[in-house]
Amino acid sequence: MVAMTRRERILAATRKERADRLPFIHWWRHMQTGWAERECRNRGMGLAWARPSHVARMRNVVVTEEKDPSRGPGIVRITYSTPKGAVYVDEKREPGTGEWHANRSWMDVTPWHVKRLIREPQDYEIVQYIVENTEYVPDYFPIEQAKDWVGDEGVVLAVLPKTPMARIMIEWIGSEEGRFYIHHKKYRDRIDALYQVLSQNMEALYEIAGKSPADYVWIGENLEGLLVSPPLFEKYFIPEYEKCCRIIHGHGKKVAFHMDGRLNILKHLIAQTPIDIIEALHPPPMGDLPMDEALRVWRDKVIWVGFPGAIYSLGTEAVKEYTFNLLRAAIPGERLVIAMSTENLVSNEHLITLTSILEKVDLPLTEEKIDNIRKALT
Amino acid sequence: MTDEARYLKALKEALLEMDYDKMKKAAEEAMAAGIDPLKAVTEALSPAMVVIGEKFQSGEYYLPELIVAGDVMKEGMEIIGPYLRGKGREPGHKFVIATVEGDNHDIGKNIVGTLLSARGFDVIDLGVNVPVQKIVETVQEHRPEILGLSALLTVTMPKMGETIQTLKAAGLRDQLKVIIGGSSVTPEFAREIGADHGSTDAVDGVEKCMQWVSAAKGR
Repeated sequence: MVAMTRRERILAATRKERADRLPFIHWWRHMQTGWAERECRNRGMGLAWARPSHVARMRNVVVTEEKDPSRGPGIVRITYSTPKGAVYVDEKREPGTGEWHANRSWMDVTPWHVKRLIREPQDYEIVQYIVENTEYVPDYFPIEQAKDWVGDEGVVLAVLPKTPMARIMIEWIGSEEGRFYIHHKKYRDRIDALYQVLSQNMEALYEIAGKSPADYVWIGENLEGLLVSPPLFEKYFIPEYEKCCRIIHGHGKKVAFHMDGRLNILKHLIAQTPIDIIEALHPPPMGDLPMDEALRVWRDKVIWVGFPGAIYSLGTEAVKEYTFNLLRAAIPGERLVIAMSTENLVSNEHLITLTSILEKVDLPLTEEKIDNIRKALT
Repeated sequence: MTDEARYLKALKEALLEMDYDKMKKAAEEAMAAGIDPLKAVTEALSPAMVVIGEKFQSGEYYLPELIVAGDVMKEGMEIIGPYLRGKGREPGHKFVIATVEGDNHDIGKNIVGTLLSARGFDVIDLGVNVPVQKIVETVQEHRPEILGLSALLTVTMPKMGETIQTLKAAGLRDQLKVIIGGSSVTPEFAREIGADHGSTDAVDGVEKCMQWVSAAKGR
């Protein structure tokens, strides 16, 4: 039998079909270019690359950026001026922010928001105006280019922003000092109005990403069960996931949601959603939902695991031990893709260690096969 | 029901209902009626926060309720606080908490701070992205029984070890317990850096703090 390509393995697992070997990948944005990644890719590690499929344009909104050293080093104030008034966000940009990772250290892929866009009750009306006056234009070049570059080595995903309440909560209001919850208690009607407008606005984005040439659509949700309580999830997230998936599924595409937080408390609610791929699941110790339970609870979903960075900090033996346990919990190894990291760059040593195990994982996975891999390594 | 009991009940209900307007009204009326501010705190607000903390721990309430309750209590304390001065409130156990430098995550830190406040601790929250030196200076100034350090990112976790080393160098380490928290924290890591306890679970962390202060009292 001809061995599958790395791309075919990922596609098969994500279609819930059996691949010849367990697909394992590295995210392009976290990958160092050099001898180790070359060796790991030669030994079966695939690539996943998430790129945008749209360009956003704002009408009647003037955006200015200002650096004032008195606000602190690296602080940039971005002001959005509208006929309804102005709002601003203060970003802390460390050296290398926004650059390709080969030009920087791992840190500060995105800037920290030191001051959030929404701080006062009057900010809601202005932000709502900005959303109402934002439109999206398809731009498939980044996807087409990535597909050309990646070829049979992996898959390309169309990136979308967080769904409306995740965006309002995590990016615009922020959870620092419990601000989102306090606003949600005090200014519920304003939050709900902004949510409705943003939900409507994002329909165009779902259409554009759905029609793109990407393999999948990826939503950078960063879902965290500690932050999003079950009542909030039911009220604001499930309806949006249903709409998002309905539109994107209508174009024959599967949707991946980046869920790298603690999901145990939301697992049964997540099971009810039409999400296809739970991307970046972090089993314990970083997350709180074990691998076997996630596969059992989400029987109709595919899981792309994010290998927990905390394990890397414990050394090579811990990485091996954790990987074997992870594989045991995933028997027979279907509906599963393992990513080397969804958080950081991974050291050459760990990349090679993980590859030396995962390259040997023929499917279906059995206890005996795992024991044999272990023996082969010692 | 006496007048005093009625005012205290109104305060407690306002907090249990997490109602900002009711809290403001109840606190203003209680103080205007000459209710002992110490009783307002110890017999109304603190017991209500304990109930809310218990509901959080049992899974009936979630983080939003816990945070909002803490904020409603703060609203009440802003009115009652000035009347407390000179009333001889017994100081609580001091607890300093911070998210270490380079890290802006504060969910777990906020839960621990809120729950410990509800348990009577005097919590000094330094916020997020706090430099090592600032933490050590705060310990030096306030002499807390416990220091809590939080980090979510694996790359900022070493700052927790650096803080402990700096405490040692300043001769402060033996005078307090250090608890570390964050989703990447493991007991091994806690031991390795010289912390007294490491936890990924805020409730577990709070229980550990309670054990420490109970043991200290028993000595």
